Amino acid sequence: MSERHTPRERAFWSIGILVVLLYALIPVAWMLSLSLKKPEQVADRKFYSGISFKNYEVIFSDDTFLRALVNSIGIAAIATIISIGLAAMAAYATSRLDFTGKTVILSGALAVAMFPPISIVGSLFELWRTIGLYDTWLGLIIPYMTFTLPLAIYTLSAFFREIPWELEQAAQVDGATPFQAFRKIIVPLAAPGVFTAAILVFIFAWNDFIFANTLTSTDNARTVPAALAFFTGASQFEQPIGAISAAAVVVTVPIIIMVLIFQRRIVAGLTAGAVKG
Amino acid sequence: MEAASTTETRTATPPAKKGITDRAKAERKLAWMLCAPAVIAMLLVTGWPILYALYLSFQRFDLRFPDQKEFVGLSNYSDVLTSSTWWSDVWTTLIITVVSVSIELVLGMLIALVMHRAIFGRGPVRAAILIPYGIITVVAAFAWKYAFDPTSGFVAGLPLISDTAQPLNTKAGSLLVIILAEVWKTTPFMALLLLAGLALVPDELHEAAKVDGASTLQRFFRITIPLMKPAILVALLFRTLDAFRIFDNIYIIQPGGALGTESVSILGYNVTINRVNVGLGSAVSILIFICVILIAIFFVKALGTSTAQQRGEEA
Amino acid sequence: MLSACGSSEGGGGARSINWYVFNEPGGSYDAAVADCNKQAGGKYHINYVKLPTDANQQRELIVRRLAAKDDSIDLIGMDVIWTAELAQAGWIEPWEGERKAVAEKDKLSGPLKTVQYKGKTWAIPFTSNTQLLWYRKDKVDKPPADFTWDEMIDDAVSKNTAVEVQARQYEGLTVWINSLIAGAGGQIVDQNADVKVDDSAKKAAEIESKLANSKAAPPGMSTNAEDQARQGFESGRSDYQVNYPFVYPSAAMVGKDFQKNMGWARFPRTEKDRPSRPPLGGINIGVSHYSKKRDLAFDAAECLAQPKHQAIAAEKGGLPPTTQSVYDTPTVKKAYPFADVLRASIEAAAPRPVTPAYSDISLAIQKTFSPPDGVDPSNIVSKLRDRMDKAAEGKIF
Repeated sequence: MSERHTPRERAFWSIGILVVLLYALIPVAWMLSLSLKKPEQVADRKFYSGISFKNYEVIFSDDTFLRALVNSIGIAAIATIISIGLAAMAAYATSRLDFTGKTVILSGALAVAMFPPISIVGSLFELWRTIGLYDTWLGLIIPYMTFTLPLAIYTLSAFFREIPWELEQAAQVDGATPFQAFRKIIVPLAAPGVFTAAILVFIFAWNDFIFANTLTSTDNARTVPAALAFFTGASQFEQPIGAISAAAVVVTVPIIIMVLIFQRRIVAGLTAGAVKG
Repeated sequence: MEAASTTETRTATPPAKKGITDRAKAERKLAWMLCAPAVIAMLLVTGWPILYALYLSFQRFDLRFPDQKEFVGLSNYSDVLTSSTWWSDVWTTLIITVVSVSIELVLGMLIALVMHRAIFGRGPVRAAILIPYGIITVVAAFAWKYAFDPTSGFVAGLPLISDTAQPLNTKAGSLLVIILAEVWKTTPFMALLLLAGLALVPDELHEAAKVDGASTLQRFFRITIPLMKPAILVALLFRTLDAFRIFDNIYIIQPGGALGTESVSILGYNVTINRVNVGLGSAVSILIFICVILIAIFFVKALGTSTAQQRGEEA
Repeated sequence: MLSACGSSEGGGGARSINWYVFNEPGGSYDAAVADCNKQAGGKYHINYVKLPTDANQQRELIVRRLAAKDDSIDLIGMDVIWTAELAQAGWIEPWEGERKAVAEKDKLSGPLKTVQYKGKTWAIPFTSNTQLLWYRKDKVDKPPADFTWDEMIDDAVSKNTAVEVQARQYEGLTVWINSLIAGAGGQIVDQNADVKVDDSAKKAAEIESKLANSKAAPPGMSTNAEDQARQGFESGRSDYQVNYPFVYPSAAMVGKDFQKNMGWARFPRTEKDRPSRPPLGGINIGVSHYSKKRDLAFDAAECLAQPKHQAIAAEKGGLPPTTQSVYDTPTVKKAYPFADVLRASIEAAAPRPVTPAYSDISLAIQKTFSPPDGVDPSNIVSKLRDRMDKAAEGKIF
C-alpha cells in the first residue's frame, strides 16, 4: 500500500472522519453544556453559557446517585463474570465438541436474544416478589446474565473457533501437563476473546432500563438509569435538566475512557460475532 | 468444519464401533454438562416468565381487584386484536422499525467503508463510533429530548426552526426525533457488523474489476454488496428485532407514547405496569412476542435462501 | 432478607415507620419528619423514603408494592387522585372514630372531599394545591371577577401575547380539562363512580381547540407541562398563565421587578355566569393495610399533618395548607400575598373523578384531548364516552 495519497483524497477522508466524530459527539457535548449551566441559563438554548459546577454538587449532595452508581457497577460486574463463565463453557462445547442438540441450543440462545423484555417483566416481578428477590442485586443480576448469554456465547464461539487447539496437544507431547498446556497456551489465546465478550456483556447490563425500573423500588438495587427518575429540580414541578445532565456526564465519561482504551478489542469482538454467520 | 474433525476422529481411532460410541458418548456428556448451566439459566429466566405470561393472558386479572381473577379464555386476545389502538401501535412500531433500520443500513455502510478504507485516522473513528454504543440508552434519550425541547433545546434556537414548528409538538416530528435517537445509538453496532462483512470481500476481485475498467460505484454494487449479503442479512435481522422492541427512547422522549408515538412495547407497559391489568397486558406481551418470532422467521428464511443461492453460485 | 441489609431507607425496626412520599425539594417534609421524631420521643421513628419525582411513576411504584402486599410500607404520601383506587383495593386503612375526627377537623372542603370515598374517610389531608391565573400587570388589564377563557384568549390575541397552559399528554391535561368541564357544571363520573360524560366535555374541547388554533397558543403547547409554562411566562412570551403557586417565588429570581408586575386572579370561568372550579392537587397521608404497626402509623400521620407543619410546607415548599386556620398565621400570610384567592380557590376547587379506575379514566381523557390543535369538539363527547367505557371495563383503548 505505498500509494501516495493526493491532497484531494486526504481532504475527502478528513471530512468523512470529521463527520463521524461530530455524529458521535454532538449529544454528549450538549449534555456536557447543559450540566455546566446555571439553573437560570438552562432555557437559553445556547451551547456555551459559562461554567458552573452547581449541578455536580447537587447530584452528589445526597446518597441517591452514589448508591445508584455503586449498584450499577456492582450488578453489571457480577452479571458479567457469571455470564462469561457460563458462556465460556457453553461456547467451548459448541465450538469444539460434537453433539446432538447443538443447533437447538444455539437457536434457543438466539430466541432468548429476541425476547421483548416487556413480555417478561410483569411475570418476573411476580416471581421475584414471591421468592424474595424483588429489589435485590440478585434480582437484577439473573435477568442481565441471561439476556447477555446469547451475545457472549456467540462471541466466544467465534473466538474459540480461531484457536489452534492442536497446540495444546503438541505442548503435552513436549512434556507439559494438561493444566500447564492449558494455562500457557490456551489461556493467552482465549483471553482476548473473553475480555472482549466481557466488555460487551458489561455494556449491555450497564445500559438496561426496563428491568431496573420494574424490579427495584429502593436504592438497595436501583441502578443509574432507574435512579434518574428520582432527581428533582428546585420545585416540585421543575424539570431537573441540570441534575440529569450532570449525572449523564458522570456516567458517560468512564464509558468514553473505557472505549478509548479498549476500542480495538471491542471492534474485534463485535466483528467476530458477526463472522460466525 | 465439525464434520471434517469427526471424520478425522473416525480414521484416527481404529474400528471397534463400541470405542467410538463410548468416546462420542463421553464427548456428548461433557458437552451437555458444559452447556447445562447456561441452558438452565436461559430456560428459567425466559421460559418460565413467558409461560406464566401465557397463563395470565387467559385470565381476567387486575392487580387492584385480585379476588375477581377468572378464566376468560381468548377474550383478552380478541379485545386486543379488535382494538384500533393495537393496530395503530403496530403500524407506528413498524414505521419506526423500517425507517430506522433503513437509515442505519445506509449510514452503517458508509461508516463501515470509512473504517475499512480510510487512509488515516481509523483509530479515532473506531473510538468515536463506539461512544454511542457505550452510552446508556436513557442517558442519550435525555440528551436528545433536551436538545429538541421547545423551550430550552439548542435545536429550537437554530434559525431554521420557527417557534411554532417544533418537532416535539407533532406526531411526525416526535417520531423523527425518536428515530434519530434510535439511529444514533445503534448505527455503530450495524456499522461493525457490516465491517466484518466488508473484510471478507477479497481485494483481488476489486483489482481484477479495476483492470477490467469497472468504476467505483459499479464495483460497489456488483461485487461488494452481493458478497456481503449474508452479513447484511444478519445485521438486518438483529437490528430489526431490536428496533421492533423499542421502548427506552419513546419512554423518555415522549412519555406514555404521547402524540401518537405509542409503540407496542409502550402499550404493553401502559397496560401491565401503569393500569396493572396484568391479564390484558400479558396478552399484549404474548402478541408482541409472536410478532418478533414472525420477523425472525422472515429473516432466517431470507438468510437461508441467500446462503443456498450463494452456495449454488459457487458450486 | 437481602433488601434489609445496610439500607439507608425503609428500616425494619420495631418502631420505625416508613413514609413513602415524593421528594419535596424545599425541605419542608424533612422538617416535619424531624420534628415528629423529636416529639415522639422514641415512641416511633419516621423514615422519609423518597419516591420518584414524576407523579405517574410514584403511583406505579406504590401500586406495584401494595399489590405485592409489601409490609415495609407504613405511610403513603398519596396524591389526591389515588384515594378511590387504593381504598377499593383494600390497600389503605379507613380513619374511624376519633381518628376520623382528627383527620377532618377544620379542613377546607376541597381537600376533605379528596379523602372521602363510599362514605368513609381514608387519609388525613396534609398539603393542597390549586392553580391561579397569573398575569402581567404591566401588560394586560386586571381581569374582572367573571373573566372567562374565551375572553382571555381573545384578549391575548388582540395584545399579541400567549396564554400558558399545560396541554401535554399527561395528567396535567386531565387537570385542565376536568376544571373546564366542572366549570360548565358538568362531570365525568357520578357519585357511584360510573362514567357519565355529558355535553360539558364539548365546551371544554371548544376552549382547548380555540386556544390551540389561535395566535395565543404558546409554542410547545402540546409538550408543555407546569415548568415550561412558567418559563414561557417568565420569558415574556406569554402575559397570561394558569399555574400552581410555585411560580410566584420563582419570579423573584427573574430580577428587576418581575415579581412586582405579577398579578393573580382566580382560575378563569368556563361559562360567564358560573363560578370557575379551579384544579385541585395535594398530598394526603394514608396508612397502608399491610403495615405491621398500624396504630403507630396513625399517630405518626396525625403528627405529620399538624397545622404547624402545614405552615412550614407553605413557607418552604410553596404548598398551600389544608387546614383553614393555617391561612391566618403570619408565616402563611407572608408566604402568600394571594392567600385569600388561594383559600377561596381551594374551597371551590373541583376534585378529579373519584373512581377506583381513575388512572384508566385519566389515560382515556388524555388520549381523547390530544393533540390540542387536533381536537374536534363536534365528536368529542362520543369519542370520550366510548374510550371511558372501555377504560372502565378494563379493555384496550
